[in-house]
Amino acid sequence: MEMDKNKNRPVYLNLFQIRLPVGGVASILHRITGAVLVLLLPFAIYMLQRSLQDPAAFADIVARLGTPFGRFILLVSVWIFAQHFFSGVRHLLQDIDIGLEKTAARRSAWLTFVGSGLVVILTGLCL
Amino acid sequence: MPVRHLRPTSSAHAGLVEWLLQRVSSLYMAGFVVYLILRFAASPVSDYAAWKSWFAGGVVRLACALFILSLLVHAWVGLRSIYMDYLHPLWLRFGISLLTAFGLLALGLWSAEILLTVNS
Repeated sequence: MEMDKNKNRPVYLNLFQIRLPVGGVASILHRITGAVLVLLLPFAIYMLQRSLQDPAAFADIVARLGTPFGRFILLVSVWIFAQHFFSGVRHLLQDIDIGLEKTAARRSAWLTFVGSGLVVILTGLCL
Repeated sequence: MPVRHLRPTSSAHAGLVEWLLQRVSSLYMAGFVVYLILRFAASPVSDYAAWKSWFAGGVVRLACALFILSLLVHAWVGLRSIYMDYLHPLWLRFGISLLTAFGLLALGLWSAEILLTVNS
């Protein structure tokens, strides 16, 4: 009987209505971007191999990266890497007790978004 | 998580090696990536010959090999913690971990092939 009552407890797990604090967003993004980076790894290795094969393959890679779709993929990949890089740096600094205080931790979480955004804009300007 | 919060739950050093490998590999990779950005920003590579001659250098290939090794270790520890948090049935966690391990090993061997055959 007690068990049944416990089972009827309200469960609130609507992920779209739980407001994750900004540090939580940075943290979950670190995981998601990390997992995606692993999935991108085979493509990166393949591109490295092709680019070193012969001049024609090298030119082909450069041409493909120059198309609108290629640039889009490149920019998304750069964002994923930059976000993982900056949130990683944030975690490393927290490891040595830097930025653990609440307001500092919130500010640094926002800074990782600003940093990765700036890297994407800079890369876009260089393309 | 801060160092001082790390508490052993089983043996005194369980997980500490992984924790450390994750940090050390990230430091090497971060340094290498910053080096790459600065290097190619300073003198961009525009053609195949320049790209290949840069990559064929012994120090560059050694640094790349260390980078790949760090990457695989880093990926393994990172994915492992994701699996431990989200994959609860033991058979599923074991199966996915096994696939991941073989996949990462294959990527490592493939990279080794590229690094070793670039001059041939």
